[in-house]
Amino acid sequence: MKKYSIFIIAMMLISLMTQASNEAYEKAMRKELQQMKVAKSPDDFKKVANGFSRISEMVPEEWLPDYYAGLALVNAGFRSQGRLEEKDAFFTQAKKLTDKAAEKSPNNSEIVALQGYITMGELSADPNSRGQHLSGVAMQFFGKAVDLNRQNPRAIMMLGQMELGMAQFFGQEPGKACGLISASLKLFEKEENTKEEDTLLPTWGKEMALQIKESCQ
Amino acid sequence: MKATIYIILILVAQPIFGQTSIQGVLKNQSGETIPGVNIFLKGTYEGVSSEIDGSYEFETTLSGNYTLVFQAMGYKVFEKEVSLDGEVISLNIILREAINEMTAVTISAGAMEASDEKKAVVLKPIDIVTVPSAMGDIIGAFQTLPGTANVGNDGRLFVRGGDASETSIFIDGLKVGNAFGTTATNVPTRTRFNPNLFKGSFFSTGGYSAEYGQALSSALALNTVDFPVRNQGDINLMSVGGGYTQTLAREKSSLTASANYFDLSPYQSLIKQNFDWERAPYGWDAEVSARQRWGKNGIVKAYLHTESSGMKIWQPMYGSEGRGQLVGLQNHYSFGQASFKQLSKNDWSYYGGVSYSNNVDEFELDQLNIRNQNQVLHSKAVAIKGFSDKLSIKTGLESYFYIYEEQLKSEGLKRDFQDHHTVLFTEADYYVNNKLILRGGLRTGNSSLAKQTWLDPRISIAFKFKHEGQLSFAAGQFSQMPVEQLRILDQSLKNTRADHLILNYFLSRNGRTVRAEAFYKDYKELITYEVAQLFPMPIGLENIQQNGEGYARGMDIFYRDQTTFKNTDFWVTYSYVDSKRLFVHFTEMVQPGFAPRHNGSVVVKHFIQPLKSQLGVSLSFNDGYTYDNPNLPGQMNAKTKSFQDLSLGWSYLPRPNLIIHLACSNVLGRDNIFGYQYTNEINESGIFEGNPIRLQAPRFLFLGIFLTLSKDKNANNLNNL
Repeated sequence: MKKYSIFIIAMMLISLMTQASNEAYEKAMRKELQQMKVAKSPDDFKKVANGFSRISEMVPEEWLPDYYAGLALVNAGFRSQGRLEEKDAFFTQAKKLTDKAAEKSPNNSEIVALQGYITMGELSADPNSRGQHLSGVAMQFFGKAVDLNRQNPRAIMMLGQMELGMAQFFGQEPGKACGLISASLKLFEKEENTKEEDTLLPTWGKEMALQIKESCQ
Repeated sequence: MKATIYIILILVAQPIFGQTSIQGVLKNQSGETIPGVNIFLKGTYEGVSSEIDGSYEFETTLSGNYTLVFQAMGYKVFEKEVSLDGEVISLNIILREAINEMTAVTISAGAMEASDEKKAVVLKPIDIVTVPSAMGDIIGAFQTLPGTANVGNDGRLFVRGGDASETSIFIDGLKVGNAFGTTATNVPTRTRFNPNLFKGSFFSTGGYSAEYGQALSSALALNTVDFPVRNQGDINLMSVGGGYTQTLAREKSSLTASANYFDLSPYQSLIKQNFDWERAPYGWDAEVSARQRWGKNGIVKAYLHTESSGMKIWQPMYGSEGRGQLVGLQNHYSFGQASFKQLSKNDWSYYGGVSYSNNVDEFELDQLNIRNQNQVLHSKAVAIKGFSDKLSIKTGLESYFYIYEEQLKSEGLKRDFQDHHTVLFTEADYYVNNKLILRGGLRTGNSSLAKQTWLDPRISIAFKFKHEGQLSFAAGQFSQMPVEQLRILDQSLKNTRADHLILNYFLSRNGRTVRAEAFYKDYKELITYEVAQLFPMPIGLENIQQNGEGYARGMDIFYRDQTTFKNTDFWVTYSYVDSKRLFVHFTEMVQPGFAPRHNGSVVVKHFIQPLKSQLGVSLSFNDGYTYDNPNLPGQMNAKTKSFQDLSLGWSYLPRPNLIIHLACSNVLGRDNIFGYQYTNEINESGIFEGNPIRLQAPRFLFLGIFLTLSKDKNANNLNNL
């Protein structure tokens, strides 16, 4: 009996410990996610990215900390008013972290969509000389992200945004692009209804989709 | 009971003496504060980022010994053991800069790079193929860059007083023999390779790396596309021919196959030509290119290209009646290569491969049938070891087989030679810091035919200023065997030699690029000979010697601006070359015909959004070509009038997958003259009569329709322009 109780106590301790470390992980993630919501300047996003990188050091097997660190850096890059080199430094670092996430979780629609988003960032930093080369690369990423998960609203929204840019450039009807944006908004709503309130999985992008939607009208 | 109280005491007491504050200011080696540094206790979630002023502060409830880590982009990670015991820890740290490949200084002496990936580039690959005067030929675009001379009746690349044979062309690091199509005298040639194949290029006008040899003046390294992004079919219909390319792209491999046909007959029947064509140039080519990822960090590429072309032309014989001499030309060319790249453990990386080119020319000159065959087999293996972020060493071993054969078929005569080169090169790059890099290299080779061993040392150094501009200096020795046509006459010929000195300034900032370069090139051991008969064509070379010499000195300036005018990209180039040589049939130091003194070009591209069109203008000019006038004393004793060419291009994109491209060279119809051909004998007035050498037509008009078929409707083959 004594043997058993020691075993049970040991098991309970282990599960308590893992629970504790899970709780610490989730707590740290929530804190940074909260920070990301209120972040405004590139510096704010840089700090958030640092926060996620610290979590990644602690839980090297999780893809989410690297994913969010990458996302925070893309946001920093998009908001940077600095020189091309500064913007590129953000995107280059974002790419590194996202590639790390992709290694941990291959064929993950969210990660592939983020890779496309980074490419979009690089493109927008110098559209004249990068447009031709990178628009194809970005489309490729978004196409793959949609193939991996047709329910991923972020992938569909960004695919729509690229299509919209092309349609505007060539003076074509934006029907297909706007259809994609509407589809993504429906998926965003579905996501809100089905995902748990405090999920750590990506839920961002609805506001962006609403903004793009405006240029459709 | 006692124990419980004890435990409670510990739990309660911990926050009282367990709160430790860690703070400080972070600076770099030049005393500037560093924001955004990630500071954390290893193995915990505790940490913070530094503020704009480099300061940081955080509190932790942990106690005991921990490692405090400082991590920031561009700096080396710094770790410090700390003991958390409630005392305030104050740590002002100076972080050491890490060598950052993206922002560190690069050696730009002599180099002009076109790449989508790298930073210190002059052009992007797309810019190269949209130069109007280029007519889709890679070399045509390079002719608008500093250091090159536009020799319109030849079409090849002439760099800084060097002749066309002094430029070596490499694809994925491997030598390409006969990269230009064979042509008749005064009919300009083109490169054989489709510009769409390449993702970037490295064009050096001197002082280049020890990795490249057998080139006195210039190395042009072209890199093929790694992985195309999608499945697509490309149809092109042009005023001179057409073709189809199919691309199959997979995750780990891809295949591209294309076939093209051209025939200038229909075009020439519409537009009047100065030349007397018996059969206008025609030809076909087919190529296959395959790439496969190899493991996680490797890539293997294979490329095969084969083509056949021909023409027949009446070359005028001045001073004699009739159409002149009929020259028929058939060319068969194949090029194949396989290459690999592999990143390995412990900062080792490897690349290399094998290339083979086989060129067969069949000439018909009146009753003479000549067949020349040139084969080059090149293999190469290179290893690079990074010893730290500051020092890396590259070492390579190469083997070249040259087999050249000339046959006088009608007479049943034949002569040939074979030569084998073994080459070893090594090169060390050392970053003193992000601002200063030193490179030293050695290239040594041995030729079995010439029974010669040589050693070429090369050095370069580059410094980056605070304002991002950089200054580079390069010096080196370069060796190259004489052209095959001479080696076959005298198989004991050794290397010709050139020494380069180059000083370069390069600044690229906010869409503007400035590049200025001064150079001095000293030629030694050039070949001289006597020609039994020089006019109308050199026949019978005698007394071949290797005592020639020469020099080329000058400077060039390049300015590019993509920012000042909206939707407009332009560049301006000026090159000054002062070159004199004693070589070929010259008996004194003279300025060769291919080295005009003043050379310039302007390229402007403007995108007009409402018209969905890009307009391109390119202007090239020089102060004229020297030539021999037998009526005057001396050699290269006369100069043509200035060469000027204004080309226009218009690309229209009505739909994302359709491009219509129209281009016209020499819109103003200037009568450009590249030299004079003289009669063999004096006329009644006692002079040799000269006839100007012109292009086959003052203008060349190009119309192309490019359609891309793909699931992705936005794809197009803009790169074809």
